[in-house]
Amino acid sequence: MTLVAAGPLLVAGIGELVASAEHGSTLVAYGLGSCVALGAWDPRTRAAALAHFMLPTGPAGGPPAKFVDRGLEAFLERFAALGGSIRRAELKAAGGASMLSVMAGALDIGRRNSEAVNARLAALGLKLAAADFGGSAGRTVQLSVSDGRFHVKSVARSAVL
Amino acid sequence: MTLVPSVAAPQPILAEILAAGLARAGDALAAMSGHEVAIVGADVVACGSAQLIEIAGGPDTTVVAVYIGITGPLHGHALLILPLDGAHRLAAILLDGMVEARVDGEHGGATLEFDALELSALQEVGNVTISACLNVLGQLFPEPVHPTVPQAVIEFAGAILDSVLLDLVADSDEILAARTTFAIDGEAIGGTIVILPDRHSLELLADASVRYVA
Repeated sequence: MTLVAAGPLLVAGIGELVASAEHGSTLVAYGLGSCVALGAWDPRTRAAALAHFMLPTGPAGGPPAKFVDRGLEAFLERFAALGGSIRRAELKAAGGASMLSVMAGALDIGRRNSEAVNARLAALGLKLAAADFGGSAGRTVQLSVSDGRFHVKSVARSAVL
Repeated sequence: MTLVPSVAAPQPILAEILAAGLARAGDALAAMSGHEVAIVGADVVACGSAQLIEIAGGPDTTVVAVYIGITGPLHGHALLILPLDGAHRLAAILLDGMVEARVDGEHGGATLEFDALELSALQEVGNVTISACLNVLGQLFPEPVHPTVPQAVIEFAGAILDSVLLDLVADSDEILAARTTFAIDGEAIGGTIVILPDRHSLELLADASVRYVA
């Protein structure tokens, strides 16, 4: 299943965040396993941001969205800088899988990542409009800047949240 | 292709150790399958996690991966990663025609469907290959390095590596990688073996490598 984007493609690699208000552009986070992608889209200004969080918490330094606890602030700042209002925004997220059963009990990072996103948003009085968390399948997420479509695909299925 | 994370372990020494392990893995696979198998090369390089995912095929590329946990004196993760077409060809060779090659229009012509026999064969290839490498690494320590039960998955390369890298890169973004080539009956089949000891294990490996040279 090949990703098709009409305009510019901005890729959020592991621990990175991307943002755009350019009509036709698409924000993408490829190959999420335990990682979680958080997207924000403002229907009025059509500003969008996408973060590819790696771990729930950690020390300062490194890529801006490596840790949910430190990265969320940078994510919100980038979104606001493009004219996005977080109070008006549609917030959607996906990822947090536990793909390898032999590792699941020891680490469970996927579940911890998704819980961290929900908890940090709740602390700011925010909540997700839609989410596709957990399971055992990896995911790729794309967020359309033009219309806010939050497309989640895995090897076996594809859905728009 | 073999990938090992480290900032501390001496790369040429690890490459030499891995080459010995891969040679044993080739012998073990040959004995198991009755085919001529060679696994050569161990070009160890430092890279970031994003580069590692690109080397393994790209984040959005569907692959077959066999995961094995590492326990004993070393702790971490190991993976055999194969492209879909290579996995089908490898299974067909090892199963000597017991399965038919299947194709579709996506994923470079290779189908996503693997029957239980194919997955079992590939799981065993991962088990034999990775265990041979771990056995050689274990010779550096008083106790053997143990593999966990293998698990085969058909997934995005990025998603698989993301899952195993998470607990290794919390305090470091650098990974050491070494590349290897597989050949069965003279036919080259691309693949990647990833051996990812945790940070403490890497320090143990670095010390053991120095003793290995001495």
